[in-house]
Amino acid sequence: MILLDYHNVVIEETLKQPIVGLEPAVLDMTVVDFDGVSYRISTPQSKNIIRFSMLMQCFKELIQWGAQEMLQKEYGAYILPQTESGYDFSLEFDLQKLPEDKEERETLVKKVSLIKRNLLAQPFERAFEQQAQYEAEEQTNPTPILMQIHYRDQETIYIQAQYDRVTVIFSTLFKEETDRIFGRVFLQEFVDARRRPAIQKAPQVLYSSKDPPLEIRHLTEPQNENVGYVTFVLFPRHFVEGEVREKTISQIQLFRDYLHYHIKCSKAYMHSRMRARVQAFLKVLNRAKPESPTVEKKTITGKTLVRA
Amino acid sequence: MPFVSNTLRPYLAAVRSTLTAVLCLENFSSQVVERHNKPEVEARSSPEIVLNPLTISRNENEKVLIEPSVNSIRISIKIKQADEIEGILCHKFTRFMMLRAENFIILRRKPINGYDISFLITNFHMEQMYKHKLVDFIIQFMEEVDKEISEMKLSLNARARIVAESYLSQLTQTCELIPGHKRNFSNFNFLNKSKVLSYRNFRISEQG
Amino acid sequence: MSYRSTDVDILDEDQLFQHELFTFAGGSELEPDVALKNVQAKGVDVRNFLTRGNTEKALTTAIENPPYGSNTTDAKDQNTKIVMEVLNSLKATDVSSIVKNLTLDQQDILMKYIYRGMASPELYNSAVLLNWHEKLTEVAGVGCIVRVTTDRRTV
Repeated sequence: MILLDYHNVVIEETLKQPIVGLEPAVLDMTVVDFDGVSYRISTPQSKNIIRFSMLMQCFKELIQWGAQEMLQKEYGAYILPQTESGYDFSLEFDLQKLPEDKEERETLVKKVSLIKRNLLAQPFERAFEQQAQYEAEEQTNPTPILMQIHYRDQETIYIQAQYDRVTVIFSTLFKEETDRIFGRVFLQEFVDARRRPAIQKAPQVLYSSKDPPLEIRHLTEPQNENVGYVTFVLFPRHFVEGEVREKTISQIQLFRDYLHYHIKCSKAYMHSRMRARVQAFLKVLNRAKPESPTVEKKTITGKTLVRA
Repeated sequence: MPFVSNTLRPYLAAVRSTLTAVLCLENFSSQVVERHNKPEVEARSSPEIVLNPLTISRNENEKVLIEPSVNSIRISIKIKQADEIEGILCHKFTRFMMLRAENFIILRRKPINGYDISFLITNFHMEQMYKHKLVDFIIQFMEEVDKEISEMKLSLNARARIVAESYLSQLTQTCELIPGHKRNFSNFNFLNKSKVLSYRNFRISEQG
Repeated sequence: MSYRSTDVDILDEDQLFQHELFTFAGGSELEPDVALKNVQAKGVDVRNFLTRGNTEKALTTAIENPPYGSNTTDAKDQNTKIVMEVLNSLKATDVSSIVKNLTLDQQDILMKYIYRGMASPELYNSAVLLNWHEKLTEVAGVGCIVRVTTDRRTV
C-alpha cells in the first residue's frame, strides 16, 4: 500500500453495522486519526442513539475559515447542539430516524469517516475561491491573507491565494536525526520527480530546510534546525472545480502523513535488513569456533559421567 | 573472493597479513595488580607489553588501526561514508551490531575515537577459535559492510522515488481528464459531493 | 593534595619507561638538529640517485640509518617524506625485484616506513603503499610485520 486512505477506516467499520445494517449495539470506543485527531463513538443513553464526537487541535482555526458552514451543510441534520465535554464537535444519530434508502445510509457513514478531511478542506476551498476572484477581478497584485493551520504542535500548514496560483506550505518537524536525513532524501525526490515526463504537470514542489520560504518569512516562528518546509505551487489546472479539486485537496492535506509514514516504513525496512545481515555475520564468526566432539563418558559402573 | 575493485584487494590483503602477524597472543596476568588478567591493550598497565600500533589505509575515509599487545589486540575500522545518508546508515548499522556485542564475542561495545567500529580479540578468544577463520571474519565484515550500506542507500533512494512519483501522479491524472481550457466544463459531468465521496472509495479499491 | 592521586609506581625501581625500552632495543638518542641535518644531507644524496635513475640505490640510501628516538619528530617526518618520494617514483612492476634484493634489516625498516606512510593517508598515496606492502610481505613474510610491532626503534 503506497498511498494512504483519506477516510478513517475504523470509523467506517464501526458505524457500518449500526447505521447501514441497522443493528443496534452498545458502543464506547476512542478512535484516533492522523495529526492527533481523536474521536469517541459511544451510545450513552440507549443502543439506538449513537454519539460521535471529535477532538481536533486546529478546530477553532478551521471554523474561522468557514468550516461551520460546511458542517451545517454536510452534517446539519445530525449535529448535537450540546457538544460533548472534552471534544470540539459532536454528532448524534438516532437509528430510528435514519434515511430509508440503504445507499444513502452508506453515504452517510462514508461522510462521517471523512469528517477530518472535510474540515481540513475548508481553508483550501476558500483559497481556491479567492484565487478565482482575484483572477476575475484582474487583481494582479493582491494582498492575500495567509491562512495558518496549526495542525500539530510545532507543525503548521500555510495556505495563500495569489493572482494565478495557490501556494501551500507545510512545515514539518523531524524529531530524529535519521528522520531528518531520510526526509531530505524523500523530499529531494519530490522536487526531482517533475522532471519525468509522465508527471510534468504535477504541482511544483519546493523544499527548504531550516530557512522558511519567502511567503512566511515575516512570521516569527521559532527557528529550528529540524524543521523542513515544503511548498506546493498549485495552478488553476490543479483545482478545477469538481472532482479534480476534491482529489487535490484530499491528497495535499495528507502530504505530511504520507511523508512520515514512508519514512517510518523505510526505517523499519532498514532494521529488518540489518537484523538479517547481523545474523549472517554471526554465522561467519561462529564458524571460527571448532566443533567440540561430544563424547559420552561412562564411569566404571556404567553410569554416564556428567561434569558439574 | 568475489569481484572487488582495484585498491580494495591489496587493502584487504594488507589487513589480512597484518592480522595474521599480530594475532599471536598468550595468557598474561597483570604485572601491576595481583590476580588481574585484563586485555593489556585496554589496561595499558605497563609499557613493555603494549606494542607499536599499525595503520592500514585505503584512503582518508577508509582505514584500519591495529593495536597489538601481549595478550590482546584491538582492531578499529573506519568505514567509508560518502555522504550524510551513508553516514547515518553506517552509524545505525554499527550501533545495531554493538548493541549485540554480547553475541559477537570479539566486538567492542564502543568504537575508538575516530573510527566506526572496534573489535577486541584476547588470548581467550584465540584459545576458542581458529585464527584463520577469525581473520576471515574480519575481512568478510569489511567487505560486506560497505556493500550493505550502499545497498541500503540505493533501496532508500528507490523507495523515495516511487513514493514521490505515485503521490504526484495522483495530482496529475486529474488534469488530463479535462483537456483544453481550464474553465471549460462543457463536457465535464458535475458531480455532487456525495458522488465525489463514493468516487474516492472506488479509487481506493482500484489500488487494491 | 590528595595522596590517592600520587603515582607511586613512578618510585618503583622495577618500573620500565618508554625511553628505557628504546635504549634496550639498541637505539641511541640524537640531538634533534643533528638528526635533522643528517636527514637533509641524505635527502640530497637520494635525489641525486633518483635523477641519475639509480632507483635501487636511492631506496637503500633513504632507508639507511633512519632517525629514531622520541625527540626527533622533525627529522622523522623529513625522512618519511624522502622514503615516500622514492617509493612513489618507482614503477609498480619493479617493486618485487627490488624488494628481493634488500637485506633483512632493510626490509624491516622499509616495512616500518610503509606503515608510517599509511598512517597519514591525507599526505601519502595509500594505493602505492598497499602495493609495496603486498610485495614486501610476499618476500619477507609476516615475521617482518611482527618485527615492526615489537621494535621500539620507531620511525
